[in-house]
Amino acid sequence: MASNKTFTSPALSFELVARCSVTRARASILTLPHGSVNLPIFMPVATQASLKGLTPEQLEATGCRLCLNNTYHLGLKPGQEVLDAVGGAHKLQGWNRNILTDSGGFQMVSLLKLANITEEGVRFLSPHDGSPMLLTPEHSMSLQNSIGSDIMMQLDDVIVTTSPDKARMREAMERSVRWLDRCIAAHKNPHTQNLFCIIQGGLDLDMRRECCREMLARDTPGIAIGGLSGGEAKDDFCRVVAACTELLPDLKPRYVMGIGYPEDLIVSVALGADMFDCVWPTRTARFGNAITKHGVLNMKREMYAADFGPIEDGCGCPCCRPIEEEGAMGITRAFVHHNAAKETVAAHLLTLHNVWYQLDLMRGAREAIIEDRFPGFVRGFFGNLYPDRNYPSWAVDALKGVGIDLLES
Amino acid sequence: MTADTQNSDSAAMRFEILKGALKDGVAARVGRLAFAGRQPMETPNFIATTSRGAIPHITPDNVNKHLQTAGAYMALEDFIERPQQYAKRTPPIYEAPTTTKHTTRLHRFTAMPQSVTTVLAARRIPAVPSPMGNTNASISVFTSTGFQVLTTKEYLSAVEALTPDIAIPLADLTHSTITPNSKRALRMAERTDEWMVEWFSSLSESTSPPRTSTFAPVLPISYSIQWEYISRLAEDYLPTGQLSGLAIYDPDLLPDLAEHCPDLLPLPRLSLSNPPTPHHILRQIALGVDVFALPFINALSDAGLALSFSFPPPASSLSPPPPSSSSSSETGTEGERTTNKLLPLAIDLSHPSHATSLAPLSPGCTCYACTAHHRAFVHHLLAAREMLGWMLLQVHNHAVVSSFFAGVRAALLNDGEPTFDDAARRFALAYEPDFPEGAAERPRARGYQYKSVGGGEPKRNKPAWGKLEGEEGTKSDESEQVGEKSVGA
Ligand SMILES: [Zn+2]
Ligand SMILES: [Zn+2]
Repeated sequence: MASNKTFTSPALSFELVARCSVTRARASILTLPHGSVNLPIFMPVATQASLKGLTPEQLEATGCRLCLNNTYHLGLKPGQEVLDAVGGAHKLQGWNRNILTDSGGFQMVSLLKLANITEEGVRFLSPHDGSPMLLTPEHSMSLQNSIGSDIMMQLDDVIVTTSPDKARMREAMERSVRWLDRCIAAHKNPHTQNLFCIIQGGLDLDMRRECCREMLARDTPGIAIGGLSGGEAKDDFCRVVAACTELLPDLKPRYVMGIGYPEDLIVSVALGADMFDCVWPTRTARFGNAITKHGVLNMKREMYAADFGPIEDGCGCPCCRPIEEEGAMGITRAFVHHNAAKETVAAHLLTLHNVWYQLDLMRGAREAIIEDRFPGFVRGFFGNLYPDRNYPSWAVDALKGVGIDLLES
Repeated sequence: MTADTQNSDSAAMRFEILKGALKDGVAARVGRLAFAGRQPMETPNFIATTSRGAIPHITPDNVNKHLQTAGAYMALEDFIERPQQYAKRTPPIYEAPTTTKHTTRLHRFTAMPQSVTTVLAARRIPAVPSPMGNTNASISVFTSTGFQVLTTKEYLSAVEALTPDIAIPLADLTHSTITPNSKRALRMAERTDEWMVEWFSSLSESTSPPRTSTFAPVLPISYSIQWEYISRLAEDYLPTGQLSGLAIYDPDLLPDLAEHCPDLLPLPRLSLSNPPTPHHILRQIALGVDVFALPFINALSDAGLALSFSFPPPASSLSPPPPSSSSSSETGTEGERTTNKLLPLAIDLSHPSHATSLAPLSPGCTCYACTAHHRAFVHHLLAAREMLGWMLLQVHNHAVVSSFFAGVRAALLNDGEPTFDDAARRFALAYEPDFPEGAAERPRARGYQYKSVGGGEPKRNKPAWGKLEGEEGTKSDESEQVGEKSVGA
């Protein structure tokens, strides 16, 4: 019985705990070299081995057991030599939980407009001295091996999903498959680090399906759906996720890269995805924004100057939880307003709240899936966000496709 | 111990001198300062300096967990700005409702842990000098929206609303490095004297027993100019119990005070003189200062410096420092290290020599930053301009100063050899006279407060904020800057 619900590979095991009886949502336990994590999960992004002013201790206290580091940034600072000398990114940042790293390719393409992709790898000019540089699948693996991340991502050929160039899209998809083979061959630590493939193919569902088949044949321990979050329409995004999850095996984790808006997370979970990451919750905190179940509130607005309520009523984070409770700080909106954009402490507090919100949203979804009341959870979530029931049509349509009718009363 | 033991109590405060030379006048002393409901403070000791009610970079949960800081200095000017569109609004802090966990408005508004003793003064230390100057009934303060007038009445009602544990009444200070001429100095004394009369008469009108203890300012002018004011403190307000302590802007006045007003000796003395180094602190301790506000800690953390001094100094202080604790900077700003054998007061963690060091920030330190992390991480965070770097330095630097004071108290309590004076002499010989400058980039200058001259920081900021090489630092704040080294072939 258990074996029907569990997949094991050298550095990972995946146990399917429950399935929603209506949608494709799943609850599972992913066990990685640095402990197990409950899926579905939101993974905060600690770009440069630090989550924006929070200590690893504070991050762990939010319940986070898996966060991201960016390979591109760690390759620049502290650099591979230092990572090797220190013994990897866990040791560098004092984080004994799990780390996922991207390949470094996406950031190069998005940050360095001059990047140029050839079969060999991603070519770009050094931002330092303008000399030509090259990031190959082999080099990405080598960096991620030095980082020691629990989940590594293959180098893929990323182009914006909205690109009209079909031939280029096909080339990118096929090249990503070839690069996966090179990554697998170059990966030095398959027994301690997991390499995930990334499904490409833009918005062309047939191409996505073809890519799924090719990638699945390589039997990586987990699968990512890539190339999204690049400005495509939300219904296109949902169609791609749905097309992929339909083909993916039940017993492997499914990671949709680069999404983090609460609506996107909930819909993607309903479509059968398990893992998400995004810089938005922590970035927006530094602009004074608090994510709440009723939407995003900007604490810099004058209306909060003398508001002595918590950032969000009912929130269980250390800033907001009732003052009588253990570890409660008693932070008011007024204090956050007072220091937003003036003292780093305000940003730290909002980061703490926002990360908690995202993790707690996924905890709530998971519980609902296990208790088989996920459709009600989804309705409640959208009802809080849109009290006038003016739901975005992409969400209505995507959820209808998996058996939830938001408009039914 | 017997003859020297003396207490100074007021409604909410108790100060005991456990050891010290009361009879001889001025000398170092050991005591305990306690406020109802707060963690008692063994003295000599220090309090943290806040900015806008926050200890820079440290969230209140971490103040509780990782900072051995029993007190916090707060400046009213950090809370009373008048945004242009809302110029008429009441500063929100005056309306903060108290709770069971935050029993004063000041604690509540700032979420400062309840165990921390609060000190409220009108101005930050160091304060930005105002071009407007003070009047007979007001001083000029500097808020995030600019200079504004703070009247003696407003300040009094602020103190009543916020009920800090210690309040420093307004003083007519220039906040200038230039010594005022004797005419100005005389006016400073007269105004401050008048304001003190108004202060105590107003406070005595309020019915309930005061929860706030008054620490009267002693002005940074010669005793002979302010003797009338100080005599009034001793004669009128000490016997009534209204005066609880002294706020000292120039500790060199302590010998005169002891000589002329021995009645004031049992009062706790808070130094607001912004001593720039531990050498200065030791000197002030020897003059009889009990508690210090130390702005240099925040400034040094922002400069990427990890404090590395201890008291008494290490026994082998004559041997050269280990290479890893070199504070020299290769940027050439402060030139070469001399071959002397002085120990550095702080370690510049931005120096490349720390890039792979798994050592604690300073040897033997047991603070959170040193037990959970290491130099290599802080070095990386400074290079990447990640805010956690400054947070970890704050935790460490407060811990170092805290154990420095613990060492001072132990030496003062020690009746045998070596004495405090011996240890202080060795300290002066063992350590460099100044802090290194620190080559790291400072945090983004976020606000008005950086107009002030940072304590312990000779010239503020290098190129300022934002960009690293090669990229404009204007796009997003997700530190997507591109640095000097590149991945790839
Ligand atoms: Zn919260
Ligand atoms: Zn330390």
